[in-house]
Amino acid sequence: MTTESLLVLPGDEIDPSLIPTHKKNPLRLGPGLRHVPPNHILPTVAGQLVADHRKTSLYVEYNGGRYIPSVSDLVIGQVTRSAADLYYVNLNPYTPNASLPHLAFEGATKKTRPQLAPGALVYARISLANRHMDPELECVSATTGKAEGLGPLTGGMIFDISLGLARRLLMARSREAGGIAVLELLGAEGLAFETAVGRNGKVWVGSENTKTVVLVGRALKETDEKGLDVEQQKKLVQKLIKQMR
Amino acid sequence: MASVTIPGQLLGPTSKYQPGPGTHIHQTNLYSSLLGVVHVSQPVKAPGPAKRLNKITPAPAPAELPTISVSRSGVSEKREVLPEVGNVVLCRVVRISPRQAVVAILICGDTVLDAEWQGVIRVQDVRATEKDRVKIYESFRPGDIVRAEVISLGDQANYYLSTAKNELGVIMATSEAGNTMYPVSWKEYRDPETGVSEARKVAKPF
Repeated sequence: MTTESLLVLPGDEIDPSLIPTHKKNPLRLGPGLRHVPPNHILPTVAGQLVADHRKTSLYVEYNGGRYIPSVSDLVIGQVTRSAADLYYVNLNPYTPNASLPHLAFEGATKKTRPQLAPGALVYARISLANRHMDPELECVSATTGKAEGLGPLTGGMIFDISLGLARRLLMARSREAGGIAVLELLGAEGLAFETAVGRNGKVWVGSENTKTVVLVGRALKETDEKGLDVEQQKKLVQKLIKQMR
Repeated sequence: MASVTIPGQLLGPTSKYQPGPGTHIHQTNLYSSLLGVVHVSQPVKAPGPAKRLNKITPAPAPAELPTISVSRSGVSEKREVLPEVGNVVLCRVVRISPRQAVVAILICGDTVLDAEWQGVIRVQDVRATEKDRVKIYESFRPGDIVRAEVISLGDQANYYLSTAKNELGVIMATSEAGNTMYPVSWKEYRDPETGVSEARKVAKPF
């Protein structure tokens, strides 16, 4: 995978030599780019242009302020109210509520289903998202019927993070690809906690020990606000551990 | 006679006149419902059957009374066209939600309507088969022109429409890129410029 470190602004011309080509595979455009027929590709956001030659794809890595739902994203929402056969779940303060059907949980039937009170947190996947309708969520995988970690989140605390950090936390190899090592480091120091990251800029931290929850939250927020790289994250973790002990 | 009436004006008793369009009855009197011109049409004398003795016939047949009606523009033949149950109408999709599509009815039969009436196509009335597995997002989008049939006059806000026949459905659609699309099957439209297909409930063209 080759990454080009090029900053683009909306409407910039892209140098054709940067666009990955392949004999058979067509070029795939990811978020932040628009195809203007017949042969123009224009960025629509400001960010880093990333060309992936292995997957023949081109996209813009950007840190936006507004979460735009897309299908099969994992998000954390808060239940606001319960209607006929669905829950209204709030993903962020600036969009209408998403809907989560009562039966979209693992093993849920009309008689046995989780009772979520208003204010409860859920970790869900987006099943329908488009410009014209409010998003719809599900807490069960449509293909396998298993929850796979989705469902209500009890205890713990939620922290707001930027969308860019949420995306990097959700990457498969967050240390190499995203430069986030803070959670690994905290775990290595012996703290026991679990996290759930929502693409909508929310991270939930749960632990038996309240101090641990607060510490992990603080570490994440500082990494986010100050834009720390891996070395600085190591120093931050050591400082916080020392303060705790 | 070309007299002008206002809504609520007394026209005559029901014993002398038959109510027509633009009038209503209140306590055995006929009142005008519209601001317009009054028309009295003479009854057509129905050719009755040959008189038979010992037959009980109802007392004076209603067709013998003249019909009084009020029409707005003064042109006696022009009537206010309203969608009725069973009419095929053309409408434009205004917004979609998971359970219904809200449309604005533009044309009823062959007449362009003066006002846009609001209609609703519920998710169970989109198709005739597999009604519970219909997804509104794959049947309609805002801005589509749809041929539908009125199934109910509905409530104060909406007519209820249905597209559950082969020749009903989306007849004109615009793609996300902004181009007019062509139908390729009963559930797909294609943009000729970008080649991208979009799912719709397509009306069979005749």
